Amino acid sequence: MLTCKEVLDSLSDYLDADMKEDLINEMRRHIGSCQDCRAEVDTVTMTIKLYKHEDNQNQGARVMPVGCHDRLVKVLELEKMRLKGDNPPKMV
Amino acid sequence: MSAVTDEELVRKSKEDDERAFGELVSRYESKVYSLALRMVRNPEDAEDVLQDTFLRAYRGIKSFQGASTFSTWVYRITANSALMKLRKKQLPTVSIDDADERETPVNIADWSPGPVEQLLSKELQHEMDEAIGALAPEFRQVFILRDVEERSNAEVAEILDLSVAAVKSRLHRARLKVRNRLAGYFSDSAKPKRAMGAH
Repeated sequence: MLTCKEVLDSLSDYLDADMKEDLINEMRRHIGSCQDCRAEVDTVTMTIKLYKHEDNQNQGARVMPVGCHDRLVKVLELEKMRLKGDNPPKMV
Repeated sequence: MSAVTDEELVRKSKEDDERAFGELVSRYESKVYSLALRMVRNPEDAEDVLQDTFLRAYRGIKSFQGASTFSTWVYRITANSALMKLRKKQLPTVSIDDADERETPVNIADWSPGPVEQLLSKELQHEMDEAIGALAPEFRQVFILRDVEERSNAEVAEILDLSVAAVKSRLHRARLKVRNRLAGYFSDSAKPKRAMGAH
């Protein structure tokens, strides 16, 4: 039987199913019978779900602001002139 | 131009084809901005990172060897630029060496039951933002790329130029750090108000 420390150390790999099947089964057995480790697994799982859900919900807030593309193009044009030695006005 | 591959656009960009580089910018600017914003957490800094990323890509395209895809390369530049921005600001974060993980579970309250939609209040979103902000940038990068952008360990390792083992280790610690912070929030919000000021 795995110890609680071993379960905690492997918690992340367990959530990602990134371990051998017999170890996954051992983890399951321990978590099934240990309330503290179950709470560890469930709360880390919920933490990840919360961040993913929040990120999906706020997708609109990560759209590039108006003018952002044009400013980027301008910066690149100035760099192009600089590299060609055209002495562009100093970038701010 | 959308049928043209990134590889073809890179090849043309190396030959000073400005339109080809412009197309690469159009293809990736939104994704770069989005990743930058997730990492630096404010629109002004994200725009700085966006501009810095494409300036570096423009300057470096001729020396880009194609060992990785263009997208991995440009995300690597984005991650580095965001890291520099965060280090420059020197906001108080939990150091990468500050191991606060417990060796055994300590009977934490299980706040996980219930639908995620019900838990996600404005107040909790603020706390989640603070929890990410308190992570050292090296942890934050891994957490965002793995758990928010849902990239594989191998992809994250390539973008951040780390071993897969290092990605897994940082991810594990980042998840626990963020969870511990949220656990603190749930435990505080569960306390009766009267008890808060009690001695």
